[in-house]
Amino acid sequence: MKRREFLRDAVRGFFIALAAFFAAVLWYIYPSRMQEKKVRYFFLMDEADLPRKGVRKVDFSYDLGERRISSRVYLAASGKGITIFSPVCTHLGCMVNWDSNRREFLCPCHGGRYAMDGTVLGGPPPRPLTELPWKVEQEKVYVGIAV
Amino acid sequence: MGRIFDRIDSRFGIREPHKRFLRRSIPETIGYAYCMGGMAFTCFLILACTGLLLSLYYIPSEKEAFNSVVMITNEVPLGWLIRSLHKWAATLFIVFILLHTLRVIVHRAYRPPRELNWLAGSLSLIIAMASGFTGYLLPWDQKAYWATEVGTSMMGTIPLAGKYLMYMLRGGLDLGGPTLIRFYSLHILYLPFAMAVILWAHFHMVKRQGIARPL
Repeated sequence: MKRREFLRDAVRGFFIALAAFFAAVLWYIYPSRMQEKKVRYFFLMDEADLPRKGVRKVDFSYDLGERRISSRVYLAASGKGITIFSPVCTHLGCMVNWDSNRREFLCPCHGGRYAMDGTVLGGPPPRPLTELPWKVEQEKVYVGIAV
Repeated sequence: MGRIFDRIDSRFGIREPHKRFLRRSIPETIGYAYCMGGMAFTCFLILACTGLLLSLYYIPSEKEAFNSVVMITNEVPLGWLIRSLHKWAATLFIVFILLHTLRVIVHRAYRPPRELNWLAGSLSLIIAMASGFTGYLLPWDQKAYWATEVGTSMMGTIPLAGKYLMYMLRGGLDLGGPTLIRFYSLHILYLPFAMAVILWAHFHMVKRQGIARPL
């Protein structure tokens, strides 16, 4: 093997090793613990406190392992029954607010608008507000959250 | 210069190579508009100093982050001052970079042979904004959390690879402890180091090419 050929192969090998190193770096920094989320039910309120009509904001908190997490949902009561919505905008994840004058959910970040049934009225949201599953057991309301 | 400096420099030899830079001529028409870049760099130095001080008390963990920031603000002597200086210098850093950019645009100082320096400047603006974004999460309060939720979600809208880039940035499916540590590391190690390298290149090119003469 000539010196020139050896050097050429050495340089080539160096760049291959460098590429392998960067691939390894990507593998290293990509999160390894990404378990699928499961829906768990947490106590929200007593059944007697459920709204009859209109939209109500409910702040609640639940324990997850050692942490106590504060959260919020919207209860929308109409003739068809009660729907519980997550307040997280489907666009980029801001918290929407219920505007009782306009009777719409408004997102403060980019102007997303949702109707009382969660459908998109305007703005950038790609899909309706997320409905959360809920159930009543022994006169207590439990809401399902993916954790 | 002084006797002590002369003694050091006779061995260290830093004066001679810097003479050309420190004694160079600059255009007569130079005015305050030319100070913006220097002001931005001053902000960067303030950020570096106050950041080093803040890092002595700040704890980048899910449980302690918010409490440590509260402690810096309320209990540490002059902690409120250091934190405010860091915050305001960060804001002014971006402001001065933009004013500097405006000056360069108005004077058309981006034209050859200075295109590469324009790129270096743009890159430093991007790094400055990335530093601002990562630093915003560190107080770990509601505003920080939701701003980062929105900011990282934007990354998820990139076609094809967006979701994976978002998970990589967050260090998981959702914002959490791993995100905080990632952002902390970016904020105090990767980005300042990148900034220092880019600024060195930026200043080196100013030195080589001289200050652009006004139109």
